[in-house]
Amino acid sequence: MNFKARLGGAMLAAIMSTTSFHGAFAAEDTIKIGVLHSLSGTMAISETTLKDVMLMLVEEQNKKGGVLGKKLEAVVVDPASDWPLFAEKARQLISQDKVAAVFGCWTSSSRKSVLPVFEELNSILFYPVQYEGEESSRNIFYTGAAPNQQAIPAVDYLAEKEGVQRWVLAGTDYVYPQTTNKILKAYLMSKGVKAEDIMINYTPFGHSDWQTIVTDIKKFGSAGKKTAVVSTINGDANVPFYKELANQGIKAEDIPVVAFSVGEEELAGLDTTPLVGHLAAWNYFQSVDAPVNAEFIKEWHAFTKNDKRVTNDPMEAAYIGFNAWVKAVEAAGTTDTDKVLDSIIGVSVPNLSGGTSTVMPNHHITKPVLIGEIQSNGQFEIVQQTPSVVGDEWSDYLPDSKNLISDWRKPMSCGNFNVATGKCGGKGS
Amino acid sequence: MLRFFLSILLMILALATQSVAQSDPKALIDALGKADFKQAEDLLGQIAASADPRVVPALEAFNDGDLYVRKSDGAVFITRASGANLALIDPLSGAAAGEAPKGAMTKLKINNSLRRVLRSALGGLTLLSPDRNVRLSAADAVLRSPSAENLELVEAALAKETDREVKARMEEARAASVLSSDRPVDQKRAAIETIGSIGGRDAISILMSASASLDASLKPDVDRAISKIQSSLAFWDLGQNVWYGISLGSVLLLAAIGLAITFGVMGIINMAHGEMVMIGAYATFMVQEVIRTSAPQLFDWSLAIAVPVAFLVTGAIGLVIERGVIRFLYGRPLETLLATWGVSLILQQTVRSIFGPTNREVGNPSWMSGSFALGGLSITWNRLWIVAFSLSIFFGLLILMKRSAFGLQMRAVTQNRRMASSMGIRTAWVDAFTFALGSGIAGIAGVALSQIDNVSPNLGQSYIIDSFMVVVFGGVGNLWGTLVGALSLGVLNKFLEPSVGAVLGKILVLVLIILFIQKRPRGLFALKGRAIEA
Amino acid sequence: MISSFFLRALEGRILAAVAVLLAVALLVPAANLLTAPDSALHIPTYAVSLMGKYLCYALLALALDLVWGYCGILSLGHGAFFALGGYAMGMYLMRQIGSRGVYGNPDLPDFMVFLNWKELPWFWHGMDMFWFAVLMVLVVPGLLAFIFGWFAFRSRVNGVYLSIITQAMTYALLLAFFRNDMGFGGNNGLTDYKEILGFSVQADGTRAVLFALSAIMLSLCLVISSGIVRSKFGKVLVGVRDAESRVRFLGFRVENIKLFTFVVSAMMAGIAGALFVPQVGIINPGEFAPANSIEVVVWTAVGGRGTLIGPIIGAILVNGGKSFFTGAFPEAWLYALGALFIGVTLFLPKGIVGTIQHRFAGRRAAKAADEAEKSAADTAVANQIQAAE
Repeated sequence: MNFKARLGGAMLAAIMSTTSFHGAFAAEDTIKIGVLHSLSGTMAISETTLKDVMLMLVEEQNKKGGVLGKKLEAVVVDPASDWPLFAEKARQLISQDKVAAVFGCWTSSSRKSVLPVFEELNSILFYPVQYEGEESSRNIFYTGAAPNQQAIPAVDYLAEKEGVQRWVLAGTDYVYPQTTNKILKAYLMSKGVKAEDIMINYTPFGHSDWQTIVTDIKKFGSAGKKTAVVSTINGDANVPFYKELANQGIKAEDIPVVAFSVGEEELAGLDTTPLVGHLAAWNYFQSVDAPVNAEFIKEWHAFTKNDKRVTNDPMEAAYIGFNAWVKAVEAAGTTDTDKVLDSIIGVSVPNLSGGTSTVMPNHHITKPVLIGEIQSNGQFEIVQQTPSVVGDEWSDYLPDSKNLISDWRKPMSCGNFNVATGKCGGKGS
Repeated sequence: MLRFFLSILLMILALATQSVAQSDPKALIDALGKADFKQAEDLLGQIAASADPRVVPALEAFNDGDLYVRKSDGAVFITRASGANLALIDPLSGAAAGEAPKGAMTKLKINNSLRRVLRSALGGLTLLSPDRNVRLSAADAVLRSPSAENLELVEAALAKETDREVKARMEEARAASVLSSDRPVDQKRAAIETIGSIGGRDAISILMSASASLDASLKPDVDRAISKIQSSLAFWDLGQNVWYGISLGSVLLLAAIGLAITFGVMGIINMAHGEMVMIGAYATFMVQEVIRTSAPQLFDWSLAIAVPVAFLVTGAIGLVIERGVIRFLYGRPLETLLATWGVSLILQQTVRSIFGPTNREVGNPSWMSGSFALGGLSITWNRLWIVAFSLSIFFGLLILMKRSAFGLQMRAVTQNRRMASSMGIRTAWVDAFTFALGSGIAGIAGVALSQIDNVSPNLGQSYIIDSFMVVVFGGVGNLWGTLVGALSLGVLNKFLEPSVGAVLGKILVLVLIILFIQKRPRGLFALKGRAIEA
Repeated sequence: MISSFFLRALEGRILAAVAVLLAVALLVPAANLLTAPDSALHIPTYAVSLMGKYLCYALLALALDLVWGYCGILSLGHGAFFALGGYAMGMYLMRQIGSRGVYGNPDLPDFMVFLNWKELPWFWHGMDMFWFAVLMVLVVPGLLAFIFGWFAFRSRVNGVYLSIITQAMTYALLLAFFRNDMGFGGNNGLTDYKEILGFSVQADGTRAVLFALSAIMLSLCLVISSGIVRSKFGKVLVGVRDAESRVRFLGFRVENIKLFTFVVSAMMAGIAGALFVPQVGIINPGEFAPANSIEVVVWTAVGGRGTLIGPIIGAILVNGGKSFFTGAFPEAWLYALGALFIGVTLFLPKGIVGTIQHRFAGRRAAKAADEAEKSAADTAVANQIQAAE
């Protein structure tokens, strides 16, 4: 008896409260957007910043009068670095809060977790982080770098400008490094690098004892050929890795390390003096010399009330994604998903490196690739900048994806069109 | 390609006509202002070849990123920050040349290739420095990036050198330079011999990189030298691995030792232990922040100051937790797990709210940076200090437990609370301070761990499971067990890592712990008598 | 005497709980499918999946209560059994995608294609058959529990040591499943399912059925657990919890009793995982994280350990709270959660249900229980003295 009421009551209370709470804040004349970034748990370290950026962008946009004459309202939730919770929160944002679009996720697992939700409920996700590619969903826009917008130009730079002939591909054992390293290995071998000149090494998440691996790298590097490390080591494990490199006396002049997951934010936790010269490849650095970037940094410092907060590449990706969405909504005159999906393709918005980024039919964007060297002040010195590169969702260097393309314009409207068989749906059956 | 060389040639010609002599350093330095990376490399080669010691400050400034070009006239200056402006210094004479706003100057960019050339050039140019240490590091630089241009400089320096150590290093540097020069075969053979006798990976590296351009008749010499080095390295590798194991073990010991008290001695399943370590690391950060802003000269002492601070801060937090939560839970160890888990969530979120979720920078004092060679072992200073530090905490704690009145009371209370109480020991007081002691030691561990790991709110989480494994493996309630457990797990891990990889190695260690507990259900050093029952 | 009194009281409660669960199993899907979206009685699909997820967690907590509340085995690795059950179901769902994956490979799941795998690893064979997958949902967690328990209980590993090695077990599995070479999709896990038994996993009808199934499974497991603890075996079980050596001296094979309970509990956790996966849409190594298993312990403690109904309520309450606070107070919800754990341990040591039972049982029963506790404490002291000698 008692329990009957209790059990039912508890369930209902939990459900009702979620709805009613948000309902109370919902005003008629606002457009809501969801912010789906972990604010607690292991990923909070990276994602919290992106939540702040989104709030700042919404505030700025509202100062300019909002979108379609309505104010924007950000609905922030905390998926707590828990992948099933990401799916639950995405569902909540879309069906309960009725958001027009969601900006969020960091890890590939979180994106994979919410992807079916966005496709089922037909909403839009802007994903602002560099990733392994091999995906193109009708409902997701990938504003971070695909491997060809980050990894391959970085390797090219090392091979051409530093004469590197021997490669250590070191990564954390998860899907992004595995895929990126597969692509890089295929790419390097297509350039004539021999298999024995490539060493691949994986470590667990949060690995903190790098003594053995750094020694191995040293060993591998003493074969008389110029050696470089291509690091896809995940955020948290980088600090101890760089500390060990510095202490074992590996200088950038001897064995440079080029990283794809180390940006200004990660370096803020490090004394970078011994790391000067190690590289990173991104589509944006805080040190980019462009008026639009200076403006952005100023706003960011004002918004966070902290002059020392750094900016980084995923922030730029969030900036591009947000502005592209605003522009697409204004062009479509509505926030209706299908109309926005149509109008956003081809939209060009300024990026923070002084150029423009265009949303391509494959839901990836064009951006330049920047190679930077770490400086003693924790910033990067840009040593090379390529022209804009189109994000390639299906890598040309993986046997099963080289024939695939993605084009979400009508009439093709396909995320995995096989050019060999002329059919949509992978290999086509 | 051809066009490129032509343009360089043209540029050099242009320079030659502009200036009095082709190798006028002033003109060469000014030319740096307009050069791209590739051209700058060539210019640096000429500057080095001029062997003019006056260019050293300019090259050093270039290396440090202090060399700027004035936008208006393309003149290059060494600069020092002077408020919002840059103070200009003439690159050759070192005379002050006024100030300029930052906007009027462009920094000369540098990349790794340039840095390599600079290192070699600076090495060659400073071989004759009056300062012995500068000469030593110059010889080192030449050794690490040998070039034919430096050969004569090295030989000239060698002729004048009197210091034994510097002389030996210069001999090696000379040998390396000989290998990349066009000297006759017999000189090269002797050089291979010299390099071979240096030993170590660097020597292999020098020989391997030189071998491509060497005469075929020298091949057997090179191979012999390399295989000789490798056989001695194989022996040292074993020792190196043991050292890595000990150093990993000492980190585990540090992480676990506070837990050995709160969990091992008191029986509290203290899930907030990791957060104490984390707070200790943040205390270090705070101490360094204060030192940075108010007394930068004390920076090398920052860790020594942070140790008592971290101990007091975390000890005080521990005291509050014990008085506020844990004292109600004695005798219910599994419930301490829940409550301390709650405490850990709150502490983590508090730190996240105060310091932000991102990593904080904790600097390494100079005495903890770099490495030194011990025979064929390469030992990094920070690891050595951490091993020493963890062992001294361990023995300090042991003495406290076994020799002091407080330690006696502590053992009495844990062994037989009622008896201890009737002997007049204030058991509540002892409990509170034992927990505070355990927390404080976790805080001290945080000071050391801040030197090798991230200082972020997640720091504690990454050590908590390992800490429990160490304590359980070693035997709950026995400090020696914790020591032996930590060191053996560390060494085991490091011996598995090279053969099966880091990920599988860690899994295997866990499986071995599970199997070991089957064999000895009370850990390595089982406590006899009234063991702590859960 | 006292325990039989409690059991009789509990029996009524179990019945009531089962009735509630079955009613929920019927009414919630009905309210979701049969009412108009704007009706006051309508429950949105979003809420159905959410509640389905809570029910799976409740089943997991129930499984833990069986070993912890009645047998005294505090498993800090129950999440591992849950995840293994989930992976077995996930593998079936992956195989069901067939050639609709992005690469259109009829046999290999997408993650294997882009990591260049040529053929299906041996342990993926057979997972395309539903009955086989369901069998695996029970067998894999059961087998792991059997092997683990066989060693651990025979060596008389107990108390904190057992808890820590169960934690080591789930941690090792976490690391293993993170490895891409294992063939379980690495950290991305298994996701993007299309259909189960030919029904689309995204259809409202399928969700409603899955929800109903979760409620039915939960009540079934509740009845089974209650049956176990109320049988003679159950009394021995409680004996093992309270005075293991005595039970052993009485001639019972304590290790077998523990092993049986542990295996049954692991299988229940496996079922919970298998129901969880199609409703949530993803299974990945994060489920093996030791923190998840600790959370299960927390739900059980909040609801009331050793009450069977308590864990169910605890799981639903804590997770409901989590859903609410992560949306309403994203920056501060960890404070609330942390405070809840501390508060419950300090002020409701018997958990919510335990405390209520205590009140309802009245003063006399309470007094008797105190006495029983005291005598238990005395025997514990006596045991310790024995052990010491």
